[in-house]
Amino acid sequence: MINIFKMDFHRFKTNKMIYILLLIFFAFQIFGIYMLKTYEQPGENGGMLISTMNESQFIQVIMAQTPSWMLVYIAVFSVYFYMSEYSSGFYKNYIAMKNARMYSVLSKILITGLFTLFMFIVMFIADMIGRSIFFDHAALGDGGYLAKLLIGQFLLHWAFSIVILCISIISKSLIASIVVGFVLSLNVLGMVISALESLVGQVNLSSFLLVNTIVSPRDFHHINDLIHVAGVAIVFILLFSFIAVRYKIKEDLR
Amino acid sequence: MSEAIIEVSQLTKQFKSKTAVHKANFKICRGEIFGLIGQNGAGKSTLLKMIGGLMYPTSGEIKLFNRTVKDSHPYFERIGILIEHAGLFPHYNAYENLDLIAISYGLTSREEHINKLLKLVGLDASNKSKVKNYSMGMKQRLGIAAALIGSPDVLILDEPINGLDPQGISEIRRMILELNKAGMTIIISSHILEELSKVATQYAILHQGEVIEHHSREQLLLQCEDRIEIEVEKASSAVPILEQHLNINHYKVISEHVVYIYDSHIENQHIIKSLVENGVTVHSITKHKQSLEQYYFLARTGSEGDSHD
Repeated sequence: MINIFKMDFHRFKTNKMIYILLLIFFAFQIFGIYMLKTYEQPGENGGMLISTMNESQFIQVIMAQTPSWMLVYIAVFSVYFYMSEYSSGFYKNYIAMKNARMYSVLSKILITGLFTLFMFIVMFIADMIGRSIFFDHAALGDGGYLAKLLIGQFLLHWAFSIVILCISIISKSLIASIVVGFVLSLNVLGMVISALESLVGQVNLSSFLLVNTIVSPRDFHHINDLIHVAGVAIVFILLFSFIAVRYKIKEDLR
Repeated sequence: MSEAIIEVSQLTKQFKSKTAVHKANFKICRGEIFGLIGQNGAGKSTLLKMIGGLMYPTSGEIKLFNRTVKDSHPYFERIGILIEHAGLFPHYNAYENLDLIAISYGLTSREEHINKLLKLVGLDASNKSKVKNYSMGMKQRLGIAAALIGSPDVLILDEPINGLDPQGISEIRRMILELNKAGMTIIISSHILEELSKVATQYAILHQGEVIEHHSREQLLLQCEDRIEIEVEKASSAVPILEQHLNINHYKVISEHVVYIYDSHIENQHIIKSLVENGVTVHSITKHKQSLEQYYFLARTGSEGDSHD
């Protein structure tokens, strides 16, 4: 397992595409903050100005917007990292090793987690810089609350990357996987199910959907919200990791 | 006799309604170059992928090194594969590609091992060109180096000369013979029998998923050697005349009535004359000259004929 992870990590760190994606994300994040400042309306967001928000509040506002650009970047990376190996047939060089199929998927799950972590780091740095420049402050607010928010959102985003990885493994199609990733980032599924629920009434399954959980602001002081976020993330991580590993073990490789 | 290191029994692979490989049986012994011949779509790649651990058989059994293997087995690690095309990242150079594979195998002295392999396949270790800029021949040679990273006992090469120019073909051939000389067992598939005949020591002809013939190199060449086929009343009466009157020693009695003569210096008229003068009735005599490709074609069409019966 460790050797396959080392190989994937070596590929991860020597691939320019990763740095380009992070750089573009950084630039757009700064640009986004500039746009929020330029078109800031008094009275929105519960009467609170974005420029007066601390980092936790600011992240919740940004993440509530669809399409979530962070999800789009994560989807692009997850699909690219898996499909570049699959399309080139590089996996044939090592996949016959004992348990290599399972380890290969687990390794990619860890790599997508690593990329998601880098996205959060870049987002945090960009927020700090952008808010300092355009809002004249970069208040963090309650450190404990911010940590809980970041960990919760990281787990949810990592779960999303695993969902996309699983879709790539099963569909074996770059275009289809990217399209599905973009549609999920738009939370189309969440909106459709929410609309159906409003017709039926008394049902609230949509709140357990992954992207819906990501884009819905939560109060991380409340244990229920904390459990909800952690529960959704862990269930999706375990479920889609299991499906991806299981599929890869059974797959006839072309 | 050499030890059989690969043995497949009743191996079958079914894709929905299509049977890609049907009840294949053969053994491959240590040190052999096993040639798998079959036209495109005959099931060669599928068969090799099952042996290499990339695909799972629908039924049947694969024995590697005398052990039945299923799913993810460590014995698959002892097989290096180059199936269809080399699995390489196009935006990395040769060294970087091999380095990634070496990391996955957990090799310690990677640089030394990789440089040795690049030298073996005739690629320059200092060449920093990306693989996407390589010629087909260079990619195939790099693919062979990639298959050799884990120091396998068996090397599987699926159509390694496809798309290569004559020089590329010759280089791959030289490499195969060198590796075999060093003790490696090699399985090589091709749809060009003439090319395979230059390297392989054992042959299996695969047609529509079935192994229709299995020969040693000697048997195959004998099938294609120039010969005179005579049909007589009684072969046992003809043989002493061939030996004593015509000094023919290189012959084979095929059946009660048919004898093949491989001494090509004898004229047909002399054979007829001697046999008739000694009271042996000759029904027919024909000169037989068959290329490997003709033989392969006849084996295929014969198999089709059988299957229609």
